[in-house]
Amino acid sequence: MRRNQGCNPQDHQVARRQFLAGAAGGAISLGLSGSPAIAEQVKGQHKRILQVYLQGGVSQLESWDPKPGTEFGGPFRAIPTSVPGMHISELLPYTAQRMHLLSIVRSINIKINDHGQGRLFMEKGRRAGEYPYIGSIASKYLAPPNSELPGYIHISTRGLSDNTSAFLGAQHGQLKFEGVKPPKNLALPKGLNQTAAARRTELRQQFNKQFGRGRPKSMTESFDVSFQQAAKLMARKTFFEKEPDGKDLERYGKHDFGRNCLLARTLLENNATCVKVTHYGYDSHAENFNFHLEQLGEFDKTFAMLLDDLDERDMLDSTLVMVYSEFGRTPKINVRYGRDHWGTAWSIALGGCGIQPGAIIGKTNEKGTAVADREVDAGHLFHTYLQALGIDSTNDHEIAGRSIPIGDPTADAIKELLV
Amino acid sequence: MRLRSNLQLVTCLLMLVAGSVPTFSAEVPLHQQIDSLIAEGNKQFEKEAAPLADDATFLRRVRLDLTGTIPTAEEVRAFLADTTPDKRTLLVDRLIASPEHARRMQYVFDTMLMERRGDKHVPAAEWRNYLRKSFLENKPWDVLVEEILTVDGTDEKTRPAAKFLLDRELKAEVVTRDLGRLFLGRDLECAQCHDHPNVDDYLQRHYHGLNAFLNRSYLFKDPKTKKTSIGEKAEGLVTFTSVFTKEEGKTAPRMLDLPEIPDPAKVKVLYKVKPAKNVRSVPVYSRRLQLADAMTNSSNIAFQQNIVNRLWAMMMGRGFVEPLDMWYADNPPSNPQVLDLLTKSFQEHDSDMRFLLRELALSKTYQRSSHVSTDAEIPQKINYGVGLLKPLSPEQLAWSMMQATGVTEKTLASVKAKQIKADAKKETKKAEDPQWQEENVHEALKRNVTSFVSTFGTVGAQSSRFDASANQALFLLNGPLVQSWLKPSGTNLTARMKKLKTAPETAEALYLAVFSRLPEKTEIEQVAAYLKASQDQPDQGLPQLVWAALSSDEFRFNH
Repeated sequence: MRRNQGCNPQDHQVARRQFLAGAAGGAISLGLSGSPAIAEQVKGQHKRILQVYLQGGVSQLESWDPKPGTEFGGPFRAIPTSVPGMHISELLPYTAQRMHLLSIVRSINIKINDHGQGRLFMEKGRRAGEYPYIGSIASKYLAPPNSELPGYIHISTRGLSDNTSAFLGAQHGQLKFEGVKPPKNLALPKGLNQTAAARRTELRQQFNKQFGRGRPKSMTESFDVSFQQAAKLMARKTFFEKEPDGKDLERYGKHDFGRNCLLARTLLENNATCVKVTHYGYDSHAENFNFHLEQLGEFDKTFAMLLDDLDERDMLDSTLVMVYSEFGRTPKINVRYGRDHWGTAWSIALGGCGIQPGAIIGKTNEKGTAVADREVDAGHLFHTYLQALGIDSTNDHEIAGRSIPIGDPTADAIKELLV
Repeated sequence: MRLRSNLQLVTCLLMLVAGSVPTFSAEVPLHQQIDSLIAEGNKQFEKEAAPLADDATFLRRVRLDLTGTIPTAEEVRAFLADTTPDKRTLLVDRLIASPEHARRMQYVFDTMLMERRGDKHVPAAEWRNYLRKSFLENKPWDVLVEEILTVDGTDEKTRPAAKFLLDRELKAEVVTRDLGRLFLGRDLECAQCHDHPNVDDYLQRHYHGLNAFLNRSYLFKDPKTKKTSIGEKAEGLVTFTSVFTKEEGKTAPRMLDLPEIPDPAKVKVLYKVKPAKNVRSVPVYSRRLQLADAMTNSSNIAFQQNIVNRLWAMMMGRGFVEPLDMWYADNPPSNPQVLDLLTKSFQEHDSDMRFLLRELALSKTYQRSSHVSTDAEIPQKINYGVGLLKPLSPEQLAWSMMQATGVTEKTLASVKAKQIKADAKKETKKAEDPQWQEENVHEALKRNVTSFVSTFGTVGAQSSRFDASANQALFLLNGPLVQSWLKPSGTNLTARMKKLKTAPETAEALYLAVFSRLPEKTEIEQVAAYLKASQDQPDQGLPQLVWAALSSDEFRFNH
């Protein structure tokens, strides 16, 4: 199968549950494209992650798990997708045509209804404690040693700066881009030309050489690595500032999310390891339906274009795609036509590297008020993401005298989703 | 003076308990006992170990460790010229009694106890002030912890101390874990849901025993003042089930393996203030109020050892137990005898942190060079035979850069000048008061420190490991703050250097101000070569010379 390229899959497993009969065929027939030259290129690609984070909590009923015509179903219809038998909300028409590239998990119960805690659980796979985010883990274990870009880049227009790397160390922490703006302090100080800059760098190295003699190197080396990383970022300043291609902008949309996704594509093409794009505005306590109409309208086409581009470049085999939130939204519609926080029965979508495409895992009951089958939480998802990338999440991080289980030992991967 | 009299007390106490430290006579000062124990069992120790650091290195090291910044160029000159035989001891005594020491301890303990988390209920400024005042009066560690764990936040006067509990919102998974980590040196988190999978001696009952002190307490928001404080119920038990074995357990409050503290036998009146809507309930018997006593009780050896380990790590660059919060049978202390000696001595001195820090600073173990001769192999195996590199904390880095570039001095001069006028009018002498000076310079420059903290600090569990990110390097390379300190202005470093005519003079000014030492011959030549090469850009030559020194490894670490 095409998903085997660029990944080290575990033994191919047939999905045990709810794996729709037509899906596998669809994926196979589509997988035959791609010239040998491109396949050769793909072999050299390292594994990557694209995270699209729908901040605030996207409604599962208006996206991956529609319940039209039921008590809490809301006004929108469900539409068929490119996977026979799989339906999603009509708010996602473009994505629907690409569901053969993705799978859905419809049975998430994280038992958390708080933004911060939900996000942390989804990112760390642990309910509490200082553990690294998936992106920092990817930076640590997947980023090539001579990488030109930091391992974990987050494109976002606002939000908090978390300590995402915990004990993995600052070099694996999230580097934040404010929208398409490059990181701070990329330009040389005013009045300092390249020659003088090179001279001061050389002098700094001379100082260091003297100091390093007869002293252990480990700490000074990591200090030096940070300067090397900074120099790489500075050298790419124009790359970050480059105005995107007009045609691409047309396809992706000229809004922030469109531009951010285009930057994400460029970064992934240039061997970034984990790129996260946050799309804001799903916390719809009032006017849930109007909000989702608008937000998902922006998300749907842009995301579909990005997915197409990754697929066309044969990057999906090596890129895990995650579309997720901190929780879903209540089936019950409140008096302001809103839906509230809901960690009890909601959905995410994922695909690409190591993930069986076209599958639906688990289900909710008829009204969507509870998980009816194959309940999972963020701990299971965490193991699944990492194992899809070939990282044994049941192993330990070995950090400075500590062995820390990578994934929560009481949870395990959704095996039937793994290729 | 107080230190002197403390010392006499020390000797008396040591004589009283002489039987418990059999190998030493009572007259041997603690720092010498440390050195003997570190070397014990290895006759070659002195040969293998690095020599003591030279005066300049010692001055820089101890100034950073005890007062949080590098010395000024004048201090270096004066210390090098000083011929008093016990000048190192005198220096340590002077530093430890200075207001800068209280500030340094405030930074260390704020970072240790609050781990740079954002403000919730108690403003950081008030909490930090509380810490600093505590260190100014050298409040013993057990008293400080007792206050922190006892206050409920209702009394404005003591409310700052409640930050530890209030800002963790009394969430069991946060408070219980942090009590274990920060006060007992044991990260029991994994023991919340089951006995620890990798660490045999972290048991679920340890976690829940700690949890039981607080499980009846809750956050109460006063409807009028909107201020949050701690209320408590009179009932509620802690039970737990292992998610692995399904074994069930229950526990009353307890410290690790010390006996449980049972609730009093059934009483008729449960509450001083009964629970009701918008009322903060206060029970007759408070489990929470047992916490401070149980924690600081001398029988709770983990509590005593934890602080000794942390102060040792602060001075020496590595704890006897590392990570500092992973104390268990398979990760034993590197030098158990030294740890025992210090723990005992610390208890005998009523948990006096200044006493302990002073003794550590006077030890040869602390004063060893971090440098071995170029051809010698770096001795990895022997413990504490060579000084370890300690990365500067964000606060140390900020204050040291401001000291090196002359920002601190300039600021002090300007706040003093203003105050001298005011003093003349009011007939006061504030401008000459060291504490007044420290507070006002701090006030004027604290925003710069905040910039460094947000760039170089990490939120959450602190680690003794060093790491550095691209963001941080970019901040140093191109950030406007550091660059602004490099422009010649007034009497700052580059302005002073600009007036110097020869390369050797320039090199000396640079090395004294930034590296806190005199340059060697080759180093002078290096500076001369750089200055010659940068003649094409005269405006950038000096500032970037200073930049390269500020961004170097020698400056980034306490060595």
